[in-house]
Amino acid sequence: MPLKPLDIYKLLPKKNCKECGDPTCLTFAMKLSGGKAKPEACPYLDDNAKTILGASTRPPVRRIRIGVGERALTVGEELVQFRHEKSFFHEPGIMIAVTDMMPAESIKKEVIFVRDWVLTRIGTDLRLNGIAVRSVSGSPEQFARAVGAVEEVADLPEVLMADDPLVMEAGLSVCGNYRPLIHAARLLQYREMCRLAKKYGCPLAIKADSLDSLAELSGLCVAEGVDHLVLDLSSPNLHALLNASTAVRQHAISRTTPALGYPVCIDTGLGGLSDASLIAGVTKFGSVLICDDLPGASRKALLVLRQNIYTDPQKPIQITPGLYRVGTPGRDSPVLLTVNFSLTFFTLQGYLEASRVPCFMLIVDTEGLSVLTAVASGKLQETVVRDAIGKYDLANEVSHRTLIIPGYSAPLSGRIEEITGWKVLVGPRDAADIAEFLEKEWKP
Amino acid sequence: MPTVTFLPSFRKTEVAQGSTILEAAQKAGFHMNVVCGGQGKCGKCTVMVRSGETEFDREKFGNFFSRDEAGEGACLSCQTRVMGDVRVLIPEGSLVQEQQILIDTPGVPVELDPAVWKYALSLLPPTLDDPSPDLSRLLWGIEKKGGPKEGAIYAPLEVIRQIPKVLRESGWKITATVALVPGGYRLINVEKGNTTSHCYGAAVDLGTTTVVVYLRSLIDGSIVGIGSNYNRQISCGEDILSRVNYAKRGGLGKLQSLATESINAALTTASNSAGIDRDDIYEVVVAGNTIMTHILMGIDPAYMIEEPYVPVVRRHLTTAARRVGLAVGENSGLFIFPAVSDFIGGDIIADILASGMTETNDISLLIDIGTNFEVVLGNRDWMFACAGAAGPALEGGEVLFGMRANPGAIEQVSLDLDTLEPSYRTIRNQKPKGLCGSGLIDLLAELLRACVIDRTGRINPMISHERIREGRQVPEFVVAWRDETSIGKEIVITENDIKALIMSKASILAACQTLMNQAGIERSAISRIYFSGAFGNYINKDHAIMIGLIPEVPVDRVITMGNGAIAGANIALLNRKKKRILDEIARKIAYIELNADPSFMDEYTGSCFLPHTDLSLFPGVERMLDQCRIRRVSP
Amino acid sequence: MGLTPLSEWSGQIGELVIGATRTDGGTRSHAVTIGGERDLPYIGIPPSGHIPRVAYELTDDPSLWQSAAIRTIGDRAHDPSDWAAFAEKELQPDLIRLYLSSTRRRGFSDLSQIGKTVEAVLQATKLPLIIEGSNDPALDSSVFRKIGEAAEGERVLLGTAESGRYRSAAAAAMAYGHSLIAQSPIDINLAKQLNILLRETGLPHDRIAIDPYTGALGYGFEYSYSVMERIRYSALKGDTDLAMPLISSAADSLTVKEVREAEGGDADQAAVAWEMYSMLPATLAGASIVCVRHPLSIAGLKSAIASLWNGQKSVGV
Repeated sequence: MPLKPLDIYKLLPKKNCKECGDPTCLTFAMKLSGGKAKPEACPYLDDNAKTILGASTRPPVRRIRIGVGERALTVGEELVQFRHEKSFFHEPGIMIAVTDMMPAESIKKEVIFVRDWVLTRIGTDLRLNGIAVRSVSGSPEQFARAVGAVEEVADLPEVLMADDPLVMEAGLSVCGNYRPLIHAARLLQYREMCRLAKKYGCPLAIKADSLDSLAELSGLCVAEGVDHLVLDLSSPNLHALLNASTAVRQHAISRTTPALGYPVCIDTGLGGLSDASLIAGVTKFGSVLICDDLPGASRKALLVLRQNIYTDPQKPIQITPGLYRVGTPGRDSPVLLTVNFSLTFFTLQGYLEASRVPCFMLIVDTEGLSVLTAVASGKLQETVVRDAIGKYDLANEVSHRTLIIPGYSAPLSGRIEEITGWKVLVGPRDAADIAEFLEKEWKP
Repeated sequence: MPTVTFLPSFRKTEVAQGSTILEAAQKAGFHMNVVCGGQGKCGKCTVMVRSGETEFDREKFGNFFSRDEAGEGACLSCQTRVMGDVRVLIPEGSLVQEQQILIDTPGVPVELDPAVWKYALSLLPPTLDDPSPDLSRLLWGIEKKGGPKEGAIYAPLEVIRQIPKVLRESGWKITATVALVPGGYRLINVEKGNTTSHCYGAAVDLGTTTVVVYLRSLIDGSIVGIGSNYNRQISCGEDILSRVNYAKRGGLGKLQSLATESINAALTTASNSAGIDRDDIYEVVVAGNTIMTHILMGIDPAYMIEEPYVPVVRRHLTTAARRVGLAVGENSGLFIFPAVSDFIGGDIIADILASGMTETNDISLLIDIGTNFEVVLGNRDWMFACAGAAGPALEGGEVLFGMRANPGAIEQVSLDLDTLEPSYRTIRNQKPKGLCGSGLIDLLAELLRACVIDRTGRINPMISHERIREGRQVPEFVVAWRDETSIGKEIVITENDIKALIMSKASILAACQTLMNQAGIERSAISRIYFSGAFGNYINKDHAIMIGLIPEVPVDRVITMGNGAIAGANIALLNRKKKRILDEIARKIAYIELNADPSFMDEYTGSCFLPHTDLSLFPGVERMLDQCRIRRVSP
Repeated sequence: MGLTPLSEWSGQIGELVIGATRTDGGTRSHAVTIGGERDLPYIGIPPSGHIPRVAYELTDDPSLWQSAAIRTIGDRAHDPSDWAAFAEKELQPDLIRLYLSSTRRRGFSDLSQIGKTVEAVLQATKLPLIIEGSNDPALDSSVFRKIGEAAEGERVLLGTAESGRYRSAAAAAMAYGHSLIAQSPIDINLAKQLNILLRETGLPHDRIAIDPYTGALGYGFEYSYSVMERIRYSALKGDTDLAMPLISSAADSLTVKEVREAEGGDADQAAVAWEMYSMLPATLAGASIVCVRHPLSIAGLKSAIASLWNGQKSVGV
C-alpha cells in the first residue's frame, strides 16, 4: 500500500521552500503519495527518507520488454494483488503458438493473422500480441527455419520455445536482435540459456518444478548476470497454476521473496482447457500467455475480458464526445443528450436500438462520469451542452430545437433552455424506459 | 407600462409588459424568496394574482399548489408575466424573513491589541520662538504620549488639509487617530477635543445569505453593538453560483453595491443601537467566502467557477473602507481575510482562527455547514481542507415543509418510542410553519430510533399508525396535524425529504472520512470537532452523530462555535498580531479536490446510510439502536 | 517448507444450503451447500469451503428470453417443467434457476398460475431450485408469498430483494423456510447496506446470497468483477455483513452485440464463449453460484471449475 500523505510529510524537511515546485511540503507529500511526483524533486531529503520513499515507489514486479518496435510488449511493473487497490498496469501479451513442424506457409498465414486481426471496441483496438515458436522437431535447423518464416512476415514480439540450448541458439541466430523471450531455462541448462540471454540481450523465461526451486533458479540466473526474467508457471493442473500465480504475486508485492518479483508466463496449451487457462491467466496475474489455437468466439471474449480486467477500476472508460447516430435518423429525429461514461452510453444505445426509433445521441464530455455524478460534480453543465451543440453543429442536423436530457439531469433543464434556446424534455432516469418515453412524449 | 400593485401594502411599481411579477416585486423593493434563482423550481416565490391580466403556465407548475391555493390565483412570481395592470398579494411566506441569525458572542478570550490608537493631545501653539509647523507639533505630541516616533507616521494629504483649522478652533486640544497599516503608521484622523473614548472597529461576516456586524470598542474591547441583515444580493440569486452568473451578465457593479449596502445597513443598526457615530469606526475587518470578498472588492469572480477554479487573490487585502463604499470614518481601513482557494475562503480561515486549532498539537476537525460545506482537519503543523455541496436540505431547502430557521420553524423534535407521538419546539414558540435544519436532524434521528425508517431512510410500510401513510407519491410521516399548524395544512416529512437529508449528510461525512483517510488517522485521534455555521449552533450533537452527519466521537468533544466567521473577524479586529498569522494559516492548508479523489464516491455511498455502512465507525450509535430494536420487537 | 500463497485472513464466508431432501422435509435428490471459504477462491490444498456451482436459467415466458439461449431448446421452452426435466437429464447443472418472468409483464395478475408453475417444476426436477419472482413492489408481496407457499419445505433460494423492496421477499423467505438473493447495483457499500437491512428484518445471514449484479462482459463486467473481489476480500478480513456467498449471472453478457448479431452455429459459440469468459472469472473473483442460459455452457464451466478446484477433471494430458 502506498504511504499516506501525512506519513510522507513527516519524512520531508517541512521547510516549504517550494523548490520541488509545490507550495508546501504537505502538498508535495500528497503528490508523492498519489504517485504524481518523484522524491528526487526534493533536494533536502535525508538518507532515511530517501530509502523509505524510494522503496515505496519502486515497482515490486520487474518491468520486462519483449520484442522491438511499435508492437513491442511491456509487462511487469505491477503493484497490487487486487485491481481495486489501484489498477493492473500492463495487459498480458497473448502469443499465438506455431510449431517448427508446420509448413512455412501455414506459419506465415498465422503470423499475418496475428499481425492484422483487430477487434474495435469502445473506441479501442484490441489485438493479439505476438507469436510463440515451439520446437517440436528438436532440430536446430528446422527451428531456425520456422523462426525465419515468422520474421519474413512481421516484426511481432516472439517467444522462442525450446529446451535444448542448441536449438535455442539456432532460433536466436535468426531473430536474436529483436529481443524475443527465451523460453525456457531450467536448473539443468540454465547456464547455457543465461549465456544466450546475455549474448543477445534477451529476456529469459525460467521454469522449475516448485516455487522454491523457481526462486532458487531465479537467484542463480541473476548470479549469472541475467535479471530480465519471466517466471513460467504453466501446468495442466489449473488449481496448481492458480495457487502458484497467486503466491508469486503475493510474494512479489509484499517483497517477501524478491526472487519472485518477475512477470509470469503461462503456456495455456497444456491441459486441454485452454479457455480456462487463459481466463485464469488474464485475471490472476499472467503476463505472457501462450496459446495454440483460439476459436473466433473465444478470441473475442478473451480480448474483451483482458480489456475489462486491465481498465483502471477507478477510472471509467470514456467515450469520445460527439454526435452519434442510432439507425438512420432524419431531420425530425429526436436528439438525446447523455454523458461520455461508456456504460451509460452503451446502455442507452442498446435500448435505443431496441426501440427502433432512429435518433441522435449527443454525447458531451463529463470526463467519463455517469449522469448522476456529473450533475453533482458540475461536470455536466449548461455550458457544456451549449458548447457541444455548437461543436457538433446540431442545429444543421435537425430541423427542430428540442433536446431530451437524462432524468437525473432534470435540475439543469431550465439553465440549458436558457443558455441554448433549445426546448428541453426531461427523459426517464432509467435507460430501460426510453422506448416508452419516446413513444409517448416525442413529437418532432 | 403596466402598473403592479402589491398587497397588502399597496406598494406600486411600473414595469414593461412581459416582465415577471418577481422582477416587479424586486423593483418595488420586496425581498422575495427565490431559492432557485427564478427558474420555477423551488415554489418559494408564490404570489396570489388578485386581478389583472397575467400569463402563467398553470399546467406546468400546477403541482406546486394545493387546490385551495390554485383557487386563490396562486402562481410562481418568477414564471408569471405581467400583461396589464395587476394586483398581486404577496403571502408572508414568500418574502425573505428575519432569520434567526447567529450573533452570539464569540467566546474566545483575546488579548486587546488593536491596530488603531487615539491620542488626546494638548499642544502648545506655535510662537515666533517656536515656529515649527503644525504637523510636526502634532506628531511630536503623539510621540510624547508613547505613540510611534514622529518620523514613522505618514500623514496623508486629506488629513493634513484639516489640521490647521482643527488645531486652532479646538484651542490646540485635539485627538489624533493613528492606524497601523501595511505601509506603517498612518495618521488617519484629527478631531477637536478629547474623543479617545470614541474608538470603534467593526468585525463583519459577509455570508452568502446573511451579513453580521459586531461593533467593538478598541479601547476596552467591549461589544457595543450588533447588527445583522440579509445579504441583499439574494434578489440576484440565492446561491453563490447564480451570483457569479449574475456578475457575468454585467451585474458585478450591482452585486458590489448590494454587498456594501447590506454591510452598511447592519452597521447602521449596530451603531444606532449603541448610540455611536459611524465615523468613529476606524477599522473594518471582513471575513467572507472567496467569491463574496471578491465581489465586495469589485474583483470579477467570473473565472473562479470555471476550471481550474483559481481565485484572483488569495492573500489578505487591505484598502480604505470608503473606497468600496462602506459608510465608516473617512480614512478607516478595511481588512479582508485571506483565502485558500475558491472554495475555502476567509470565512473558513476565520473559523480556524476562532477555533484555536492551529495552536495545538491535538488534531481537530472543523466543519462549516451551509448549502455548501467546508471541512478542515489538522493541527499546528498541518491541515487538510475540502469543500463540497451539501445541498440545501440541511437548511430546510428541497424539503417539502422545510424552511429556514425563522419564527415558527420546528427546531427540536422528539418521538415517544411507544406511541410515535411527536413533541416539538418551535422558534419563538409560534405555531409551526415548517421544519428547519436542526428540527429535521432531530426528526431523522428519532424516526430511526423508533424504527419508523430503515437505515436507507425508507419508511417501514408494515407499521400501521395514523401518522404513517402513503403520500402523494411516496410514503410520509405526519409531524403536526392541520389544527396544530399555522399554515392550514399538515406538516409532514416524506421519504423523498429524508432521502435528500441523507444525501446531504452523506456528503459531509464522506468529506470528513476522505480527509481522515488522507491524513491516515482514525476517529479516536480527533480531539475536537468544531461545528461552525448558522446551522450548527442549535443542533443536537447526539443526533448529529446518530444520523452520521459527523464521525462518532465522545459528545463532549463536539463544540458548536456558532458563527465562527464572525468570531474570527472579531479576534483579528481586536488583536493585530492575529492578523499576521492568517496568511500563514491559509498557506499551511492543503486543499483536497473531492471530485478528483477516487475514494470520495466510495465514501459517499458508504455514508448514504444511517449512520454509515461501516457500522464499526459508530459503535455507540449501534449499541443504542440495538436496544431500540430489541425494545420494538419485545414491547 | 514450500512457498505458498500468503493467507492472512480472519473471516470466513458463511455456508448456505439450497434444497431440502426427504430427510429435511423436502423432495430434492440432494442439497447444495455453498460458501464456507476461509481464503481466496480455489486457494489452498485443498481449497477451503465448497466448490462453486453452476446454475442453469430458464423461464416461464420464453418470449422474453435471449434467442441465442433457447435456439437449441425447441418446444420445451414453452413448458418450464419439460424444460427443467430436460435440463436435469441432459445438461446436468448443479441447480436450476427458474425465472417467473411472466410476473414482469405489464398487467400481470394470474397468481394461481405462478403456484402451478412452481409446483410443476418441483415435480419435474429433483435439483435444488433458485426461483425468481416479480420485480414490482406492488406485486412482490403476493408473488413471493405464492412462490414461498408453493415451494414450502424445499428450501429454495428466492430472488430477489433490493434495497427499495426487500421486506416482502424477506417475509416470504422467513415464513416458508427459504433463502434469499440480495441484489444491489455493482457497489460494495450498497451490497452491505442491503445485508444489514435484511438482518434487521430478522432474516439470518446464513439465508442470504449476495448478487452484486453482473454487468455484461465488456460493458460493466470490469466493475462487477472488482466489486465481487472486494466483497470477498472484506468478508475474509472479517466483515460479517459481507460474509455471504455470491451469485453471478451471465444474462447481460448474452445481450452484447457480438452475441446478439451472431447467426446460426456462430451464435451458439458466441453465447458459450461469452458465458464462459464472464462466469469463470466470476468464480475467480469469488462467486459461489454462476448462472448461464446457454445449454452448451454448463459442461465446459463445470470442468473448468473442477480443474481450478482440485486439478482433477482436466481433459487430456
